[in-house]
Parts: sequence; C-alpha cells; structure tokens
Amino acid sequence: MSNYNSYTIRKIELKPQGGNIKNIKKFLEKNDLEISHDILFFITIEKNEDIIACGGISEGGIIKCVAIDKKERGKGLVLKLMTELIYIGYDLGYTELFLYTKPENEKMFKACGFTKIETVPGLVVLMENTQNGLLNYCKKLKENSKNIKGKKIGSIVLNTNPFTLGHQYLIEKSASECDWVHVFIVKEDASYFSYRDRFNLVAEGVKHIKNITLHEGSRYIISRATFPTYFLKDEDVVEKSYLELDLKIFRRFIGPALRITHRFVGSEPFSGVTNQYNEAMKYWLEKDDSNYPKITVEIKERKLLQDIPISASRVRELYFKGDVENIKKLVPKVTYEYLRNRNNNTNKQQWK
Amino acid sequence: MEITKEAVVGTLESSDAMIQIAPCGEIDITISSSVGAQFKEAIEKVIQDTLEEFKIKKAKIVVKDKGALDCVLRARMITAITRSTNEKIEWKQLI
Repeated sequence: MSNYNSYTIRKIELKPQGGNIKNIKKFLEKNDLEISHDILFFITIEKNEDIIACGGISEGGIIKCVAIDKKERGKGLVLKLMTELIYIGYDLGYTELFLYTKPENEKMFKACGFTKIETVPGLVVLMENTQNGLLNYCKKLKENSKNIKGKKIGSIVLNTNPFTLGHQYLIEKSASECDWVHVFIVKEDASYFSYRDRFNLVAEGVKHIKNITLHEGSRYIISRATFPTYFLKDEDVVEKSYLELDLKIFRRFIGPALRITHRFVGSEPFSGVTNQYNEAMKYWLEKDDSNYPKITVEIKERKLLQDIPISASRVRELYFKGDVENIKKLVPKVTYEYLRNRNNNTNKQQWK
Repeated sequence: MEITKEAVVGTLESSDAMIQIAPCGEIDITISSSVGAQFKEAIEKVIQDTLEEFKIKKAKIVVKDKGALDCVLRARMITAITRSTNEKIEWKQLI
C-alpha cells in the first residue's frame, strides 16, 4: 500500500488465496465490465476509501479489467495503474505483456506504450507492450521459410496433450496432400503435459515426414493472449470475440508470412471448445475479405480405433486409470515410452 | 559490461520515462515519446551515451518517454543497467 498525493494504491493478490474482491467486482460492474476469473493480481487506486481505478493481470501476462471512474478520467490515473501492472508483470516473469480493452480506449493505452494487434469492432481490442512484436515475429517466420517452394502450403495447430496416432495421422495425411506443411504446437504450459515434452514427442514422431516444418508455438497462436477461454477448463462455451481475434491474427499476419493456403484440423467429436473453434475457423479464414488471402479449412475425419475416434482426452483418461497397455494402440511408440516412464502419481487430480 | 537479465525502471507518468532493458545480440533501441517529434534524437543520444559510458555492446532497450529531462533519462538508464547486470558496479566512478 502506498500513498500518492491523496490516492491509495493497493496491490491485491487473488490467487491462490482468493482476496476480497467484492468492491472490485462492484466497481467493474459500474463500468460495464465483468471480472475475469484468471486474474492473479489487481491494482486498485482509492480515494477516500472508494475505488476510482483498477486493473488486473492474469496468467500469461495479460492485463484486463482496467476501469477508471468517469469523474476521474483525464488525470493520468491510467499511467499510474499501468506502471504498477507492468512492474507486477516483470515480477511474475512476463516482460512482454498483452492487454484487452474496449476499442474506444485504444488511444489511452497507446499513451502507455502499447500497440494494437487486432480488433473485434465494437467489442474488444488486443494490444501488446512491445512495438511491432507481432510484425517482428512474422518477419522471422518469413525469413526462416523463404526457401520453401510450392503452391499448396498447409498449416496445423495442435496442442498434443499428449501426442497420439490421431495427431500423427493428421500431419501425415496433410503432408501427403501439400507441397509443405507448417505445424505449430500450442506453447502455453496450461496442459497436463508440459510444452517441452509435448513438443519433443511430436518432433520425434514426425521425423519420417520430409515436407514439414515444426514450429515453436507463439503467443500469437492459440495462447492465453489470443484465446484465453481455451485454457479455462470449466467453460465449455467460448467467448466468440476471442475466436475472432485468434483467427484474424492467423489469417492477416501468420498466414501471409508463410504463404499458407490451407489449414487442417481433425474432426472434433468430444470437446465443445474445439468444435466451436473449428466452426469459427471456417468462417474467419475462408470468408470473403479482399485484403487478405483466403485460407481453406479442411476438416479431416479422425482416425478410429475400434470405431472410437482416437483423442488425447481418451489417452489421458486411460493414463489416469493407470491403463498403460490400452494406450499402446492409441499413441506412437515414442509417446508410449514416455508415458510408461513417467511417474504417473503426480498431479493426477488436476485433470478431472 | 554485460546485460544478463531483464529489468524495468521508471514510470509512465509525466516528466518521467519507463525503460525496459533485456539481453540481446546487438544494440536495439526503441523509443516512443510524447515529445518524440521534437526530442527523439536528443533522447536517443542520452541512451547511446550511457551505453557507451558503461561499455555495453549488446542490449535491447525500450524507452517509453513522457517528457523526461536528460538528467532523469540518464538516471533511469543507469538504474536499468545496474539492475540488469550481475557485474559489480563501481559506484565511486558514477558520482
């Protein structure tokens, strides 16, 4: 707690204890905002014990729920607020921050050094705390892929939690139909298996395919920044605006950088979130938009085992039951070895 | 001197500057300033001079300037450098 002129600035930790947020909730409601459930810390600015400004930072270093009382605007409160939030970000290890806000506030946050990534008109704008972060990322992609020739360039984004025969089949099939395929592994460490492990399993399991590039994931592709609800396991309904942001970034920036013409995805019989994502993908990647090249979405039927589609969730289920033998038929050898060797007594409760 | 870790100093408030510093393969300076139209070159010079003074050959520097005076910029830069290196600082030489 610190006094700054007649203001009191407070830092409130929400996780793991869950601080008292009744007043913050009320204040956000007054400003037409809902509290976001993945926020780790809030900064509030109080005057005479009333909150006049607040902002939160979530896992992944995303600033949201920023509101300033109507009567207190134009006094530079947002600069105090953002300074504090940036420092918390550094403390948490996030030096490159993202920010969600309403489009009408874009200018205000520009003054805090944030730049726009993408907008959902009227609803939300996603900004980042680096100048040209996304553009530099795309420049690198372009540079690294300049030697790739061909007309039909595919792309696949996978979480692989863990890597199954279904994933391997999707990559093989796509590669057989394309001149080249770019495969991205979702980078967030929000899944049961760590990003490093997931990435290494895929790398091992696609060695025999010659016309693919396996990319490190990025914060611009299905990350907490572009698609926060993907990582909130309890919510089966996805906020549509997030789908739109994630897919627009893919179509407008990442697609053109790699000259991607197709995006492949497995049919989704289980997860509601992934299903909605697949539907939205068809719309945002293929829809007429003369400014950006179209990306054709192809949904491939999932590989079956005894009439049941192979999925990572099924593998996890068996894994938690300790039924390693039945997993053998669902995953490549490399994943099987990995699961067998892994101490499966830890953190089982996390996935229920 | 070598920059080995990320650090942030300063604030976004008027007459101050926020400086973020990080390890990098080269000198990479990005400046955004509320008075950039008039003073961007002057700001860059302070940053470059401070880097030279500390013999820093590699660093990523992001400056968000809100009209800070040169002495403030220099002070912020020195703090940023001292926070982002593991080397011992010779304070006597700085004063």
